[in-house]
Amino acid sequence: MSVRITSIGVVSAIGFSVAENLQSLREGKSGIGEITYLEDSRPFLVGEVKASNADLKGKLGLDSSHISRTSLLGLHAAREAWGENKLNSELRTGIISATSVGGMDRSEVFYKDYLTQNNPDYTLLKTHDSGSTTERIAVEMGISDYVNTLSTACSSGANAIMLGARLILQNKLDRVLVGGSDALARFTIDGFRSLMIYDDQWCRPFDETRSGLNLGEGAAFLLLEGEKSIAFSGNKTICYLSGWANAADAYHQTASSPEGVGATLAIGNALKKSGIEPEAISYVNAHGTGTKNNDLSESVALKNVFGENIPLFSSTKAFTGHTLAAAGAIEAVFSVLAIQNGLVYPNLNFKNPIEETCLTPVTSLQTDIPIHAVLSNSFGFGGNNSSLVFADHA
Amino acid sequence: MEKNTYYITAASTISHQDTFGKTGFSDSMSPVVPPALITPDYKAFIDAGLLRRMSKILRMAVACAKDCLAQTGLDQPDAIITGTGLGCLQDTDKFLNTSLTVEGLLPPTAFIQSTHNTMAGQISLSLGNHGYNMTHTQNTLSFEHAMVDALLLLDEGEEHILVGAADEHIEILSEITSHLGYAPGFPLTSGASFFTISKEKGEGTVARIADCEPVAFAKDPVKKLTRFLNNNSLEINDLSKIIYAVPGNANEGEYESIWRKAGLDPEKCINYLSLCGVYPTASAFALNYAVDLISQDRSLKNILIFNALRKENLGLTLVQSVEA
Repeated sequence: MSVRITSIGVVSAIGFSVAENLQSLREGKSGIGEITYLEDSRPFLVGEVKASNADLKGKLGLDSSHISRTSLLGLHAAREAWGENKLNSELRTGIISATSVGGMDRSEVFYKDYLTQNNPDYTLLKTHDSGSTTERIAVEMGISDYVNTLSTACSSGANAIMLGARLILQNKLDRVLVGGSDALARFTIDGFRSLMIYDDQWCRPFDETRSGLNLGEGAAFLLLEGEKSIAFSGNKTICYLSGWANAADAYHQTASSPEGVGATLAIGNALKKSGIEPEAISYVNAHGTGTKNNDLSESVALKNVFGENIPLFSSTKAFTGHTLAAAGAIEAVFSVLAIQNGLVYPNLNFKNPIEETCLTPVTSLQTDIPIHAVLSNSFGFGGNNSSLVFADHA
Repeated sequence: MEKNTYYITAASTISHQDTFGKTGFSDSMSPVVPPALITPDYKAFIDAGLLRRMSKILRMAVACAKDCLAQTGLDQPDAIITGTGLGCLQDTDKFLNTSLTVEGLLPPTAFIQSTHNTMAGQISLSLGNHGYNMTHTQNTLSFEHAMVDALLLLDEGEEHILVGAADEHIEILSEITSHLGYAPGFPLTSGASFFTISKEKGEGTVARIADCEPVAFAKDPVKKLTRFLNNNSLEINDLSKIIYAVPGNANEGEYESIWRKAGLDPEKCINYLSLCGVYPTASAFALNYAVDLISQDRSLKNILIFNALRKENLGLTLVQSVEA
């Protein structure tokens, strides 16, 4: 029941392309630093894409003033994933994007002027709604057979990939660009700070001293193709999406259950769907945000599913920051790259394992291990837990 | 390929009309009056502690979801799927305001409840449901996309899906729409409608979803409509009713003349925005309205919901009566 992945695209704090992201991952180079591009003078640590909106528009050849940063990032990644593919009226082509903030970066600019009655520009709000973020990308790409947006907080990107696979398998679409995009916003920075889970130091996933996340931004897309589309495009399959599952934790609106109920269900069901035995998973790209709660709950879930034989695992959040709805998509691209290049990425900033679970992630780049199958986790607010399984075989 | 049947085994709506818990509400409807949402006693559905913190959209969604389960007698659905065009606006507005005006530590509740998936999350929490949980947000097609996801799950073997949509009106929306020159011709309102869609019909099931299609960038809506009906072996004049959403009066005449030309009695064509007002997921109200019409008159074999609330988008949903 696997679905072919034929192309990928990504933009994040560690690069503007798949090649640049891969290089940073190999070099152990984090993209997290103090706020530079966001209109916010506070000294917080964030994983920004190293370009202003004007730079991004320049790169994309757009001159419209009414486009959110979320759409700009999304379009950048979608174009890389789409590559030289051609539209064809015989093929049903769709796009599913995930976002949590939509055009909030523009809405904030409006709202600030609105509150001070400083001649607010109401037209900035035209990009507020999340659906318009995807429509804008779709218009630029010329994709119209299916255009949809998912918003399930930090699991959104993984859910977009899952929905795309289901639409291909049910023969509703021949090919679909799936992924997610989120720009940094004052709204989310303040939000995570209000929850007291924003680390003012580098985030330290799975470390005993971890005390929160650093937010990031970015976008990633993957091209999923069915047989009819492959026959037309002749595209080579670079990886397979073999399993997926979505489960609700039903514990708390923001916190994860200490027993990792939803996470255990998502991981277990995704493995079951893939038909791949737990011991055949070469690497787990963990959600690993660096919050006390997530990393403990995820560690418990890994133990619940894998017992004593936990595969090599790491979180790449210390490279990119937590990119919210884009995270599942960016980490899907990293999972595909792990399989393609036989890599396991280091979990940066790790020193000591969490006392309760004693799990140690991979801390240096591994290059000599064959990677056949990768599990990628995305867990979010609202108890939305999703897991994906990628493999080098159908 | 033989098409599956998707039975509507429960329906529940909170709107500006007296719809909640009122089978037959479609009999006596007058044009929507903006100010008051007609709400049930939420304490009957939601724990008082939770209720205090919940915004309008969350209260509506959780109450409708619980009402659907009570109607079907189900303990748990296999999945919870929601659609929302603009999400939890009340809490988003509140937290934006706090974040821009307050220094230091901010209260987190509004942020926690601002994400689009809060509705589906709160429903899963209130039921203790561990199933598939999804939130679609594609402005005026958010509900149709949620419905397509529900039908896919039934095709994949699930049995009962709780699917619904909600949007809430907040004050600043009226100000924004008037500044942007958006004049839909009907009041801006709030509403929530939830359904249980099942593989098997239950006792008292009167209607089913025959087909649902969200169309992006619909350039020629009439052509799309004809193709959609053909896919379901129907012509326009086979329709018992068309329940449509067209804002203002600009395009309404155009569509009415098309339907008249096709031989449909104007009385069979109803602009549902006149009943529920304008919000991005008003087509979910239209579905409950269609189900209710059928519950009162089984001879209504085919009802089409034609959602052109936003001209770039077209939602087509075919509802059919089920033999008693």
